Amino acid sequence: MSDRAATSAGAHAFRSPVSEAPWVRVALIGVALAFLALFLFLPLVSVFVEALRRGVGPALAALADPDAISAIKLTLLVAVIAVPTNLVFGVCAAWAIAKFEFRGKSLLITLIDLPFSVSPVVAGLVYVLMFGAQGYFGPWLAEHGVKVIFAVPGIVLATIFVTFPFVARELIPLMQEQGTVEEEAALSLGASGWQTFRRVTLPNVKWGLVYGVLLCNARAMGEFGAVSVVSGHIRGLTNTMPLHVEILYNEYDFVGAFAIASVLALLALVTLVVKTLLEWRFADQIAAATRRH
Amino acid sequence: MDMIADQTFAGSFNGLPGHGRARPMDVRVEGLTKEFGTTPALHGVSLDVPGGELVALLGPSGSGKTTLLRIVAGLDAPTSGRVMFGGEDALQRTVQQRNVGFVFQHYALFKHMTVFDNIAFGLTVRPSDRRPTKVQIRERVETLLDFVQLPGLGKRYPMQLSGGQRQRVALARALAIEPQVLLLDEPFGALDAKVRKDLRRWLREIHDRTGHTTLFVTHDQEEAMELADRIVVMKDGKIQQVGTPDEIYDRPATPFVFDFIGQSVKLPVSVKGGKALLDGDVLPITLGRSQDGPALLFARPDDVALAGPEATGIPGRVRAVRRTAGHRLIEIALGRDNHLVEVAVRAADAVSPGEPVTVVLKSFRLYADDSRAA
Repeated sequence: MSDRAATSAGAHAFRSPVSEAPWVRVALIGVALAFLALFLFLPLVSVFVEALRRGVGPALAALADPDAISAIKLTLLVAVIAVPTNLVFGVCAAWAIAKFEFRGKSLLITLIDLPFSVSPVVAGLVYVLMFGAQGYFGPWLAEHGVKVIFAVPGIVLATIFVTFPFVARELIPLMQEQGTVEEEAALSLGASGWQTFRRVTLPNVKWGLVYGVLLCNARAMGEFGAVSVVSGHIRGLTNTMPLHVEILYNEYDFVGAFAIASVLALLALVTLVVKTLLEWRFADQIAAATRRH
Repeated sequence: MDMIADQTFAGSFNGLPGHGRARPMDVRVEGLTKEFGTTPALHGVSLDVPGGELVALLGPSGSGKTTLLRIVAGLDAPTSGRVMFGGEDALQRTVQQRNVGFVFQHYALFKHMTVFDNIAFGLTVRPSDRRPTKVQIRERVETLLDFVQLPGLGKRYPMQLSGGQRQRVALARALAIEPQVLLLDEPFGALDAKVRKDLRRWLREIHDRTGHTTLFVTHDQEEAMELADRIVVMKDGKIQQVGTPDEIYDRPATPFVFDFIGQSVKLPVSVKGGKALLDGDVLPITLGRSQDGPALLFARPDDVALAGPEATGIPGRVRAVRRTAGHRLIEIALGRDNHLVEVAVRAADAVSPGEPVTVVLKSFRLYADDSRAA
């Protein structure tokens, strides 16, 4: 350091060149916090406040309603089917895209993003068009006594469609960044393809996989648009939690609507808490897995 | 890393199970060609590596040396040609079946596994009838850790090790499967100069003790010279020369090899009637029988001396003087077109820029220059 620089800087406390003036920092943080409070925190709190407006009793009673219980059960059933399905497909798709070169790869990547870019209503309508009474496969399905639309299979299909990208999208960049050199090392040491996948590839992407599954699950339970189109809103049969909330709300049963909504919100919060806990508990491993040597 | 007393080494080697029994494997490559799309990476490469030899594949980037190594390992397939391990066609076998120890350029250690699990990996993935017991695996890993001078580091993760330590773990992992052939891709490429020099000597010792047929890829001619029994110099997917370090250095087959191996003084001359001309002026050097036409004159720095302006030799003028550790590097402009050559002199011999000097060639080689041929 030259003397000149030392004396001119001497009067002020040193500030890192990439940092900003204190008032800029305070302003930026303030704006961000105010925005979060207004648009995220306040609405979330109001869900619970509305649900408990008449006390705990009516809220619990609304949840104990048979239609509500069946909606909760259906939502869990759909998630239990859709999430593992997308886990398997997502890993396969990410594996294929990240580790191999083939024709039509960019097309496949675009297709994986399709459920994100298409409106869920359109997704639902597509299934009606395919499997509905007047749809392509409708008559054949009716002949064989299989009901897809306005039944549980349709809801599951629509949910799988909408939540497909979560796992794949989380894994593709991770796998691409890691490349194939560790796999090559495993193969050269005599490991079979399956052993390589299970012992090298999978552990390297496991945190990405966990995030993908959590997000996929949150969306599977919360999906409204696509499910709404294919469900038919049959109470006690084809109503998922989000659909049930809408029905109750339209019937001016605010306590019931917000009680179910709070359960949905709670499930989302649990997802986030689990994610945070995992991040906190396994911080070393996550850092080790994402940092390059 | 420090030098380890011979005794320690011998002791740990003797305890290394599975080594010293099998005869080292001969490796033969015949007419190997590899094309990536339409770009050829290898052009009919043939090479014989007798069992137990330590061979360097040396060349600039893009010369095809890594491609050759990967094909021998089974990580890539050739477009045509043959790879033989002993009397057997290795191309009929998958990478898993070839039983090669491959050490990757950036180690490729499994970063989610401990050092112990990394080294044990090749043993634990064996089918149950060939898999050693847990106790045997533990013993083998401990022995290997001693062997690569990392005792007690089994519980660390690769991230917690230095570059040189990672490289040694990678080697231990490759040795654990009792490979028939050891292949190393730029084994010291990512290490700093000091560590590299130590590991070089260490690898040579390991090779001498385990006796594996070993091929390693490098772009560092010094590393190849110091380490290898034989050097394979490659350029543009073709082998330029195969020979011992002495042969490669003292009798380079092509101008490329001369230039690539070690420092050299290079002058574009033309030969006419047994005389060498630089920019039209006859040089006071004696040629053997040589064809007329454009040629390249090469000399090693050791064979180039500097004399005063009155001496017999090639007259030139000092352009710049630079100091290196043990020498002074003098940059001299020769001929009418100011061809720059660099001559190293003792640090005590001071000359200053602008001084007229004479360059005396004690020994040189002449190659016909096809690129300038009419």
